[in-house]
Amino acid sequence: MLIKAYKTLAGAGALGINSRNSEYIMRCNPRSLFPLVDNKAMTKQLAVKYNIPTPELYHVIEHHGDISRIEKTMENRNEFVVKPARGAGGQGIILIKDRTAEGLVTSSDRLLSTAGLHFHISEILSGIYSLSGLDDAAIIEALIHPDSVFASVSYSGVPDIRIVVYRGVPVISMVRLPTKASDGKANLHRGAIAAGIDISRGVTLSAVHHSSVVTRHPDTGNCVSGIEVPFWKEMLLIAAKAFDMTGLGYIGVDMVIDRSQGPVMLELNARPGLGIQLANQAGLRTRLNSVDKTPPDIFADPQTRIEWAMRTFGKE
Amino acid sequence: MNRYVTALVILLLVLPVTLIAYRVISLDYPLMPAAPEKVWQLSLKAHVADTNGKTRALIAIPSQKHGTTLIEEKLTEGPLDFGIQAENRNRYAMWSGTSGPKGAEVSYIATLMVRSSYSPPAPSELGPYPEGLDDSGQKLAEKLVSNTLRLPPTARAMTIASAFSGAPDIYVYSPEDIERWAAIKKRIGAANALSALFRAAGMHALTAQGLALEENITSETISWIEVWTGGSWLVIEPETGMATQRPSNLLPLARGKASVVSSPNGTISDLRWSLSREVITQWGVQHERIKSSERFLNRWSLFRLPAKFQDTFRILILVPLGALIICILRNIIGLPTFGIFMPVLMALAFRNTGLLYGIGIFAAVLLIGYAVRNSMDKLRLLLVPRLSVILTLVVGCFIIFALVGNELGLREFMAVGLLPFVILTLTIERFHIILEEQGAREGLRTAAGSVAVAAGAYGIIQFDPLQITFFVYPELLLVVMAGQILIGRYTGYRMMELLRFRQLGNNNADKGV
Repeated sequence: MLIKAYKTLAGAGALGINSRNSEYIMRCNPRSLFPLVDNKAMTKQLAVKYNIPTPELYHVIEHHGDISRIEKTMENRNEFVVKPARGAGGQGIILIKDRTAEGLVTSSDRLLSTAGLHFHISEILSGIYSLSGLDDAAIIEALIHPDSVFASVSYSGVPDIRIVVYRGVPVISMVRLPTKASDGKANLHRGAIAAGIDISRGVTLSAVHHSSVVTRHPDTGNCVSGIEVPFWKEMLLIAAKAFDMTGLGYIGVDMVIDRSQGPVMLELNARPGLGIQLANQAGLRTRLNSVDKTPPDIFADPQTRIEWAMRTFGKE
Repeated sequence: MNRYVTALVILLLVLPVTLIAYRVISLDYPLMPAAPEKVWQLSLKAHVADTNGKTRALIAIPSQKHGTTLIEEKLTEGPLDFGIQAENRNRYAMWSGTSGPKGAEVSYIATLMVRSSYSPPAPSELGPYPEGLDDSGQKLAEKLVSNTLRLPPTARAMTIASAFSGAPDIYVYSPEDIERWAAIKKRIGAANALSALFRAAGMHALTAQGLALEENITSETISWIEVWTGGSWLVIEPETGMATQRPSNLLPLARGKASVVSSPNGTISDLRWSLSREVITQWGVQHERIKSSERFLNRWSLFRLPAKFQDTFRILILVPLGALIICILRNIIGLPTFGIFMPVLMALAFRNTGLLYGIGIFAAVLLIGYAVRNSMDKLRLLLVPRLSVILTLVVGCFIIFALVGNELGLREFMAVGLLPFVILTLTIERFHIILEEQGAREGLRTAAGSVAVAAGAYGIIQFDPLQITFFVYPELLLVVMAGQILIGRYTGYRMMELLRFRQLGNNNADKGV
């Protein structure tokens, strides 16, 4: 029975974690380039250089002594995001959407006192959310106002779009939609749902909730498939450029669509998860293999790469 | 697979196989060091009393020269001096001195193994006839065996034994000869008479006294005859003439003309032999085997370490195997665990507390720690001081467990100090973060995975036959390493992924229909 299940999965072209680690991450992502994506402050700098839009950076806090000083510089901003520079899986991110007399209001309508914010930043600096557990920096940047395209299928929070890029070619994509259970965060572990996006047309497909396929959002009850994603070509281009920007052969590019700014890149991930296959109901290995079999001329520039991808990776 | 990896793995497999083959073939190591061997405990108790105020008592004890491997010998202290005296191939325990008016109890305990294949060769020259047999008796013996001389030694010995142990066949031997031999047999004893016949047939025979190897308490030794048939000793029961090829069920104490008990001064009474099957450790057996050898590999054996340090290595040598299990469980099965080697460290700690107590204490400390960690959130402590507080809490819990254990007489609770407290501290923090970030389901799944892996690793580390096999053949670590390398190259699905991605498979199957 086990062997049969194994063969079915292999037949579906599914990519397993062992294979992802040894055949793609270890082969395509040189260790020396990891800091470029593991440290969001560095990623941001790099993005600016490559003309890739990102949320406006307000502040980087590196020392505990600087924490108290942010009050002054942030006092006329009512909306901002605090995140660890080296965080993983969306952990340690706080979205502030308003400021009242009692304190700051988070995206999930919780009240956060100034002391609470300081404690959180200090936790970030101590490295509690950091991948390696080492000292970290805290980033304060502009709050994104998500475009209304996914409003009907998300419960507060910011839906984000992930495109996995292999050797500069976008191969698979999904949009992560926050739910009540995920506390408005687009984190699949915590119960957000993920809908696959057809690379060729930029249209959402069916979604996955934990490990099961769903067609409707658990909170809003609206159908998640068939939504046309705006700025799709721009987003594919941003994703494809992320390869030229970092030199990493296998990355996940996370983006959001801002109401006024359009698509902005939030972060890069050198170890993108495999749940994206479930969201697309498609195996990743098949697609990675077809990239490897392509004649080298399509790799010339980001434009030719995304054109090839849009021709190749459509949901029949 | 990568060519270098293949070459490396082959090297890592060939090397230990060669070494083990060498040890087995040239150094006589056991192929299965963990297979049970017949180990016996012999204990001898007797009462010794003085005559003329002095005692000298000798009692035969097993000797290596009889094909017995002595693993351990012990004797109880008493008023008498103890010594071991060797006589020919026999050994005697000798008690001498003054035992006082009431006499003294003496005892001797040996742990031994009787090797069935071992045969001390016979001297090349034939010995004299048994005492009490005159010339005419010798002539008669030669006449009686003359018709068997053409037979090969084993057949010859068996024919003689069966022909003369009961009533000899009147159609083969003349009635006067039979009658005369019966008279001699009566005078010198059945055993001596049979020895005389073997001697007459040109074979080396000796009488031996000893014990039957069976769980028993006895005050009498038994005697038998051993006949050298050129390559081994044939054991013959003098009364029935029954012959057995291998004396593995007999423990010889005195071979040749010597007697089992002698007391030139004093008297020996209440002599009791008892034999019991011993569940002794293969460790002692191997130790004995290796201790006395000067061969290079034997001198560099772990058995040469002082006993105190051997204990550490018995465990340590299986830790890599535990790591291999973790490789399998994580990379092939796909179980989530807290930290990479945390389960192995837990398994090591379970050795002192026992599995159930260990898991129970671990769970209790984790829950207490979690509760405190949760309420500590409000204190807003920084990472390092916060972890220090949890560490202090963990150590405090250990102390309370130990004190409660002391009150209740639970040794397992007191052994708690050896649980890896740093690991436990970090586990509490990890547990809190996983619960917070990924929910209770994921947290409990990881905890269950860790416990399963720790229990599995514990089972392996505690498995005695495996311990001794690795201890005797430490080169097996290279095999373990080969296994670890092979798993490192495993790029197939993890078993848990079969479950996680089953939807992908279904989807494809649907398309096929």
